[in-house]
Amino acid sequence: MRTIIFSKRNLKELLRDPLSYVFCLGFPIVMLLIMTIINNSIPPEANMTIFRIDNLSGGIAVFGLSFVMLFSALLLSQDRTGAFLTRLYASPMKASEFIAGYYLPILLLAAAQSVITFFASFIIAAVDGVEMSISGALLAIVSLIPTSVMFIGFGLLFGSLFNSNAAPGLCSIIISGAGVLGGIWMDVEAMGGGFRDVCMALPFYHSVRLSRNVMAGVTDNMGTDLLIILAYMAASFILSVRAFRRNMTKDIK
Amino acid sequence: MENSSIEIKNLRKTYGSLTAVNDLSLNIGSGELFGLLGVNGAGKTTTIKMLSCLIKPDSGEAFLGGNSIITQSAEVKRIINLSTQETAVAPKLTVRENLEFVADIYGVPDRNAAVESVIKDFSLESVLDRKAKTLSGGWQRKVSIAMALVTSPRILFLDEPTLGLDVLARRELWTAIKALKSRMTIILTTHYLDEAEALCDRIAVMTEGCLRAVGTADELKAMAGKDDFEEAFIEIAERSKRKGAAL
Ligand SMILES: Nc1ncnc2c1ncn2[C@@H]1O[C@H](COP(=O)(O)OP(=O)(O)OP(=O)(O)O)[C@@H](O)[C@H]1O
Ligand SMILES: [Mg+2]
Repeated sequence: MRTIIFSKRNLKELLRDPLSYVFCLGFPIVMLLIMTIINNSIPPEANMTIFRIDNLSGGIAVFGLSFVMLFSALLLSQDRTGAFLTRLYASPMKASEFIAGYYLPILLLAAAQSVITFFASFIIAAVDGVEMSISGALLAIVSLIPTSVMFIGFGLLFGSLFNSNAAPGLCSIIISGAGVLGGIWMDVEAMGGGFRDVCMALPFYHSVRLSRNVMAGVTDNMGTDLLIILAYMAASFILSVRAFRRNMTKDIK
Repeated sequence: MENSSIEIKNLRKTYGSLTAVNDLSLNIGSGELFGLLGVNGAGKTTTIKMLSCLIKPDSGEAFLGGNSIITQSAEVKRIINLSTQETAVAPKLTVRENLEFVADIYGVPDRNAAVESVIKDFSLESVLDRKAKTLSGGWQRKVSIAMALVTSPRILFLDEPTLGLDVLARRELWTAIKALKSRMTIILTTHYLDEAEALCDRIAVMTEGCLRAVGTADELKAMAGKDDFEEAFIEIAERSKRKGAAL
């Protein structure tokens, strides 16, 4: 019950920040539109499909989730700055209720973002005359849940470890990295070499590839992708919980 | 009345080589309004943090309403609330939402009635729908104290509650605190000696983590051989310093 009460507070706190709307909800739509315009100006003989809406939506959805990481980090690091959390540490709230209370509302925001991204993709696909399957998109949204949990975990980890100035900076670096190493803007497979190895070792490309494949109804590499994402998700969860619990005593005002 | 006494036994807290609270022992009765005085860094806030289970003492023990702060912190947390030295409000929630939030976290049975009652006690009607972060420092402090009271704790900690309040708001808060007297046990810290004298049943003076004197304001004045409470406080604080230097 206390988890729900705290979740509600956190959701209000998130939704009352206009930047949440700009970055979490507006940004993916804008990116979809811009990249579609770029795609339409690429001559067909170039045979480049990376920016075609059915490829693009998975990439943008993952990119959008990296912003959710930023918001998780901001929420927690700002809460830690004031004495508000100290008040709650002296209340009957348990550590697990704090953690769940942070994860749940942000997960809701992440899910809303994925839904909006794919919904906008549908409209663009319809206008552009590209086939997109509804069931594929729904499955792709589901396939992004572990990725969402992972990004929230990293956001809460950085929000626990760093102050409200350093945490967003670190997140922006990861956001940029996720864009490049996630194969959102370029074809990782075609790059090959060391670049591909790095992409394969990190979760971002696996998240993008999984959601693209799921949407296309292709099962290639699904096991590998899921395994790696789940491993990163578990790591981010464990690390964020440990960092939060450790800082609970350190941050007391 | 339920047991809401505080028994402190040899409580000690160090930070590295610094002893913030040193072998503190003290008994506070149910319904007592107890003042904790001391210069900056005397260990008042550290004492409150240990009693409210925010930090663990290095050694020693304390019982709040019969519950150990070490082995029964869950029970202790249910019967206490505090207003921290720093204002503690959720910035983007409105004043009403802040009050409701805390009441819900503690599972206050008749939440709406409890919220309405503190709104009245603290004259918060005019700011109810404003986000806490848009209020002035003094108003945020009032809200922060109201958030501690909305759960009707058996034991209440007020760490410098009147810090940053104007004269009128300070007097208003005094009235509110007096009205709570004997309904709950209160530990209050302050740097305003007139405030301690006006409100507190008994007062303790701490310096350098140690308890130097306990008693009513009159007893402390007699102890120090001064007619004025402020003079008495200075005498007690200085005396302990002279002793410390002699050692
Ligand atoms: N987290 C901490 N780490 C290191 N030292 C600390 C910490 N918290 C408090 N101290 C030290 O412990 C001593 C007691 O601090 P405390 O905050 O209890 O004093 P106080 O009586 O509340 O003072 P004030 O009137 O200024 O609020 C101080 O010397 C302070 O520097
Ligand atoms: Mg203090």
